[in-house]
Amino acid sequence: MPLSPSILSVLSEDLLVRVYGFLDPPCRKKWRLVSKEFHRVDSLSRTSIRILRVEFLPALLSNYPHLSSLDLSVCPKLDDDAVLRLASYGAVSIKSLNLSRATALRARGLETLARLCRGLERVDVSHCWGFGDREAAALSVAAGLREVRMDKCLSLSDVGLARIVLGCSNLSKISLKWCMEISDLGIDLLCKKCKDLKSLDVSYLKITNESIRSIALLPKLEVLEMVNCPLVDDDGLQYLENGCPSLQEVSLSFLHNIKALKHLKTLWIDGARVSDSSLLTLSSSCRSLTDIGVSKCVGVTDIGVVGLARNCINLKTLNLACCGFVTDAAISAVAQSCRNLETLKLESCHMITEKGLQSLGCYSKHLQELDLTDCYGVNDRGLEYISKCSNLLRLKLGLCTNISDKGMFHIGSKCSKLLELDLYRCGGFGDDGLAAISRGCKSLNRLIISYCGELTDTGVEQIRQLEHLSHLELRGLKNITGAGLAAVACGCKKLDYLDLKKCENIDDSGFWALAYFARNLRQINLCYCSVSDTALCMLMSNLSRVQDVDLVNLNRVTVEGSEFALRACCNRLKKLKLFAPLRFLLSSELLEMLHARGCRIRWD
Amino acid sequence: MRTKNMETGEDDLCKNNWGSASILDYEMAREDEEEEPNLHVFKASSSCQDNNNNGGQASVDFLQGVKAQAWDPRTMLCNLSFMEHKIHELQGLVHLILGRNGQLQDEQRQLVTADLTSIIIQLISTAGSLLPSVKHHNMSTTAPGSAFHEMKNEDDAEEGENLPPGSYEIKQLEKEEILAPHTNFCTICGKGFKRDANLRMHMRGHGDEYKTPAALAKPTKETVPGSEQMLVKRYSCPFPGCKRNKDHKKFQPLKTILCVKNHYKRTHCDKSFTCSRCHTKKFSVIADLKTHEKHCGKNKWLCSCGTTFSRKDKLFGHIALFQGHTPAIPLEETKPSAAASSQRGSSGCGNNNNNAGMVSFNLGSATNANQETSQPCFMDGKISFEESFSPLSSDTCNFGGFPRSIFDDSFQMLISSACGCSPINGGDGSVSDTSV
Repeated sequence: MPLSPSILSVLSEDLLVRVYGFLDPPCRKKWRLVSKEFHRVDSLSRTSIRILRVEFLPALLSNYPHLSSLDLSVCPKLDDDAVLRLASYGAVSIKSLNLSRATALRARGLETLARLCRGLERVDVSHCWGFGDREAAALSVAAGLREVRMDKCLSLSDVGLARIVLGCSNLSKISLKWCMEISDLGIDLLCKKCKDLKSLDVSYLKITNESIRSIALLPKLEVLEMVNCPLVDDDGLQYLENGCPSLQEVSLSFLHNIKALKHLKTLWIDGARVSDSSLLTLSSSCRSLTDIGVSKCVGVTDIGVVGLARNCINLKTLNLACCGFVTDAAISAVAQSCRNLETLKLESCHMITEKGLQSLGCYSKHLQELDLTDCYGVNDRGLEYISKCSNLLRLKLGLCTNISDKGMFHIGSKCSKLLELDLYRCGGFGDDGLAAISRGCKSLNRLIISYCGELTDTGVEQIRQLEHLSHLELRGLKNITGAGLAAVACGCKKLDYLDLKKCENIDDSGFWALAYFARNLRQINLCYCSVSDTALCMLMSNLSRVQDVDLVNLNRVTVEGSEFALRACCNRLKKLKLFAPLRFLLSSELLEMLHARGCRIRWD
Repeated sequence: MRTKNMETGEDDLCKNNWGSASILDYEMAREDEEEEPNLHVFKASSSCQDNNNNGGQASVDFLQGVKAQAWDPRTMLCNLSFMEHKIHELQGLVHLILGRNGQLQDEQRQLVTADLTSIIIQLISTAGSLLPSVKHHNMSTTAPGSAFHEMKNEDDAEEGENLPPGSYEIKQLEKEEILAPHTNFCTICGKGFKRDANLRMHMRGHGDEYKTPAALAKPTKETVPGSEQMLVKRYSCPFPGCKRNKDHKKFQPLKTILCVKNHYKRTHCDKSFTCSRCHTKKFSVIADLKTHEKHCGKNKWLCSCGTTFSRKDKLFGHIALFQGHTPAIPLEETKPSAAASSQRGSSGCGNNNNNAGMVSFNLGSATNANQETSQPCFMDGKISFEESFSPLSSDTCNFGGFPRSIFDDSFQMLISSACGCSPINGGDGSVSDTSV
């Protein structure tokens, strides 16, 4: 390729960097292949990286000098020793570290990492279920930490939290969701020592009103998530109202009366006992609300929703899931007064018909997400109206059985930006509908067509046109065979999640194709599939990214086959679902090895 | 009627600040029960008719005088006679009412009740003046329960009690007497007991005559208050030079025998009881050991400064208070899982090194298969190992050297080469996902 030396004389490097800044990730891949200069720009501008093989990290770090964010959450081989080997290459200037699900990592490795990354500010160790106080103490070595996510670190107790709190006093964001051992004492200390805290997630903790009293003293708190804290009640909320001057976002599981929080922007009170009157008082006092969730609030009816829509015109997100008494009238009111609506969730609102959807199609031009799961009032005409919302990114139509190919044509022809489409158990449409979707919605990355019984290979083969597809659920499609799966595997190279449960007619040819082409597959469900020993071994050994596997009820797989397959991938598995009797049939070494690598086995 | 007025009388007494209300309550109740016999006693001892019948106010003043005054039998006698006089008056009134068969006019009834009230108030206040003596008497012959209570406040007693030197009788037990295991002995079989109540229980076995309520009753109950023992008893420690010894310049007497025993054992004896849990704390009184053992080992909340706490909230309070203090993480808690897992890996490595090439699996080994349940004891066994856990030694048990990973890669190559079909997408690349 004749590279003109003038390209740099015309476009200086900083201009190139600016151009590069406008590109989206797939284009950047192509960009860096253009020339050495372009490649240089790419490596200089790159700030974040997500890697699969930790062995290459040192080389990558030297290639990309301005890297600040490192995602190791998909690294299957990350463990203490890998980290110790890394340590010999010297310190790095990573600011943000994602270690989510790094279950093989322990305190020693974590401490090494924390020391290695000087200036570490953000760390995510969510879903590392083995993490506890020792790991927390290791993290607290990074004194500059500002954001910590520790969701589901099951053994983390107050002591560990205290270590983090005392070690990193600049904390501004911490998430302790599902850290079930944390009690009032830990939260109290957190609130006493970290006055800069802006965001706090204490969902599912066994904390009481005392904690809320401490939390209310935080001067800068903006976001508070306390979903499902069963021991907190209205008295606790009273503290919140009297304190927390800058609170903007609250997630709760109950609500009595919030009036004082006038500047509240986001409120999630899913599952709370809310009546129309309290919703009215709430909306009249918190007029700047932009996001509100009242899902599963059985007391909410049209009156409340209409009042809410009139009072809070800036509403962007509205979650009315399982509010069964909401009808078209409320939806029309919302569509007419809240023109900026972006997200609307109407799951299980059975009274919604095409009338409500008509006003949505007319007024809500900014609508990006619409959840109509289990709204059996939705039909083809309704979909025609919805398709007018051309900015729609996510559409959920699960259990809407009245939809046929006709409706699918409307969606496929107009909603070209669609990223996510859920058609779970929509038995009414067939291959033609799926073909229309595959033709029209090219950027789809999440498609759920489980239990759509009409679909056959002809339809499923069309899916291969969706290059960006990463999440595909084909559960219970009895009519598809190896040919269909092979086509999907061939076309959708980015496939990350694949659910093939109860696809009984897929033969080994399909799985062989999968083993060769779907190299990005991370999670796979093969329950009730007729996969053979060899095909399973192939899959498990070739799919080098696979981390989460469901292998229940495989009739053609023997114990030896499972053993071989699991041995082939045991050092990268994080989660495994196995047939319970195998517990006593698989070799104990294998099980020990899996356990040592932090793999969680569910016996079914 | 009577009890009601008793209460008002009690109020008066409280105003006069005579000791604790509880003792007064007790005394009042007792007097209430024994009203009738007492009245007879008062009647019988009508020798000194005094001019003390000048109303409640005077008697109250008089009572206040009693407090400062030391115990005087003469004034006591006066009080008694005054009470007798008043009781006679009361009797007359009641007779009057009886004579009219209770058929009184309203005004008359009011008059009578008013009279009665004033008389009863006087009566009670005068009776109350007997109390200081009764109280002291009671203290010297304390029941075991109250003695125990006093023992706990042994040190506080110094401030609370300021008895003038001559106002009590000093007893000094000998060392042998103090250290004797038993103080109460059965007169029949000679068996010793620590408590007289236990002795009485034991005596029941010696015959029916010991089973009567009188024999089983507390000996202290039998003595009439203020009848014999006039002086308060206090105790001195036999150890020369001790502050509790009567020859000491600032002598502070001990209140009860129990106090003497505990004091002597704690300060002048060897601490022979060692805590069976920590093996460091020693005690000379077995009760102290038991109290300690209840809490020993529960100080599991440790601060980085070395202070231990029995309660988590105390530790957190400490941490919140002092800058730079952090809670320490006990070694045993989290380390075993990490260490044991790598240990497991290394042990598996050792086992497998022999047959790395030939893949032979021991399928169906049911003993080890249930590894999750057998895991705790596995960890327990490894605690000693992990204490010598150093970064150097850990390099030997890395997972990279684990033969399965070799097997994994070779297996993969084997399949792909056997099939002759090279993967189209090199998804195996290091930078697999570009998220910028």
